[in-house]
Amino acid sequence: MTQSDRSPPDDSSLVKVRGLTTVLNGKTIFDALDLDIPRGKVTAIMGPSGTGKTTLLKHITGQMRADAGSIHVNGENVAQLSRERLFKLREGIGYLFQNSALLTDFDVFENVAFPLRQHTKLPEELIRNLVLMKLQAVGLRGAARLMPDELSGGMARRVALARAIVFDPMLILYDEPFVGLDPVALNQVLKLIRTLNQTLGITSVLVAHELAAVQQVADHVFLIANGKVVAQGDPRAIANDGSPWTRQFFGGGADGPVPFQYPAGDYAEALGFKGAGA
Amino acid sequence: MSTRTPQPNGAVARSLAQVGACGLFLLTLLAAIPRSFRHGRETIRQVWFVGAMSLTIIMVCGLFVGMVLMLQLYHVLSIFGGTSASGMVVALSVYRELGPVVTALLFAGRAGTSITAEIGLMRATDQIDAMEMMAVDPVAYVATPRFLAGLIAMPLLCCVFSAMAVFGGHLVGVTWLGIDNGTFWSNMTAVVDVHTDIVNGILLKSLAFGAVVSLIAVFQGFTTPPTSEGVAYATTRTVVASSIAILALDFVLTAFLM
Repeated sequence: MTQSDRSPPDDSSLVKVRGLTTVLNGKTIFDALDLDIPRGKVTAIMGPSGTGKTTLLKHITGQMRADAGSIHVNGENVAQLSRERLFKLREGIGYLFQNSALLTDFDVFENVAFPLRQHTKLPEELIRNLVLMKLQAVGLRGAARLMPDELSGGMARRVALARAIVFDPMLILYDEPFVGLDPVALNQVLKLIRTLNQTLGITSVLVAHELAAVQQVADHVFLIANGKVVAQGDPRAIANDGSPWTRQFFGGGADGPVPFQYPAGDYAEALGFKGAGA
Repeated sequence: MSTRTPQPNGAVARSLAQVGACGLFLLTLLAAIPRSFRHGRETIRQVWFVGAMSLTIIMVCGLFVGMVLMLQLYHVLSIFGGTSASGMVVALSVYRELGPVVTALLFAGRAGTSITAEIGLMRATDQIDAMEMMAVDPVAYVATPRFLAGLIAMPLLCCVFSAMAVFGGHLVGVTWLGIDNGTFWSNMTAVVDVHTDIVNGILLKSLAFGAVVSLIAVFQGFTTPPTSEGVAYATTRTVVASSIAILALDFVLTAFLM
């Protein structure tokens, strides 16, 4: 799919989430969640662990169905797409998995070439050049013939990033892209996300916990907690917006609306102390 | 829906649910066959992996099965003075029953487990999800080539097993125990029927066993929980379910083909 095949940007939001409700194993993950991902911007999704950030990405890509609500990507209702239409949509979406998800049977070069080989009939010389260009962009052209088990976690993440951008997608979803990166690699990835956004106009959504990194790269931040958007805005200002959610989350405080404990019964009773003093 | 599918209570109900899910998975596999033709190289790679890589164990086991069978038959038939028929009985036993059944059991242990473990690990490491995200159908790219490879490889392996078993029988009977070479071969060729013994025995049965073992292996791999324990259980279930299915199906096929 080329950039020109995609529908024109008649709307400022590439992804529209409306009334998204998801219940997993009896726990409400999203409770009528509404949010818009602006087209051509870098948007960060932040929130406490287990709040459903990765689940939201899975809803956007149609990997998971919601219990209620809708998600429109580029004007298409993801839940109502046939499998063929969903696959067509996904050709325009790059997804960086938390654990890279490289194909272990293939070397670095073949991992990056995989989407090209599956969806195009490009000549081998062109595939080679495209793959080397993407690997050069992530600084791993020299690692083209290494196998995934020979890569460090950070290198694997960069290879996965090269694979995610090999089609120059309209939307890239980054699931925890900064975890395990050394400062040099972290800066390179930040720069790459920014460059991809500015030069190709790619809309980027990143799920992350690192506020400093997010402040460098994102245009907009959503803070999700308790199944809803509890704060949003400019990443450089959101930490100081004064709400108890942002104060606790960005300040790292133990007390506040973000619970540290997973819901459980009485602690003393669990330890067998209930009524011990009677 | 995002909620997990409710599991039925009771071992029998769960087993029936598994059989039903496996049947639905078979339909998905069959529907994906036309789409998998564009991954022909992957199918060939899998034929090499499950077929050629299983040759050693199949040949060695075939040789010893034939040798043991001949020893036992020679001992029993010598009581009645019928040792000249031992080559014929070895051939009939191998072509009709032992060849397809033992090959399928070995295939389940060697190739079935590796297919389950490989797909299970691909699921646990998000490789299957990554393919989905790259708009590559994992059923057409991962499952169907392995299923077809099992279907292709099993009859070939069964032929090799049977040939090695007859060779083993010849080695013990003619070379060691002194049965006449001409008697060994002439009795065998006089009794063995191409349709009843070769087509119905080796080809038809091994095709059916290949389909069943490959289906179970791929299904278990695709439905395994993405944990190390889940992959271990799935691998065990492949061997157990395949062994039971092979022996039960052998009885049914034999009853219909006799």
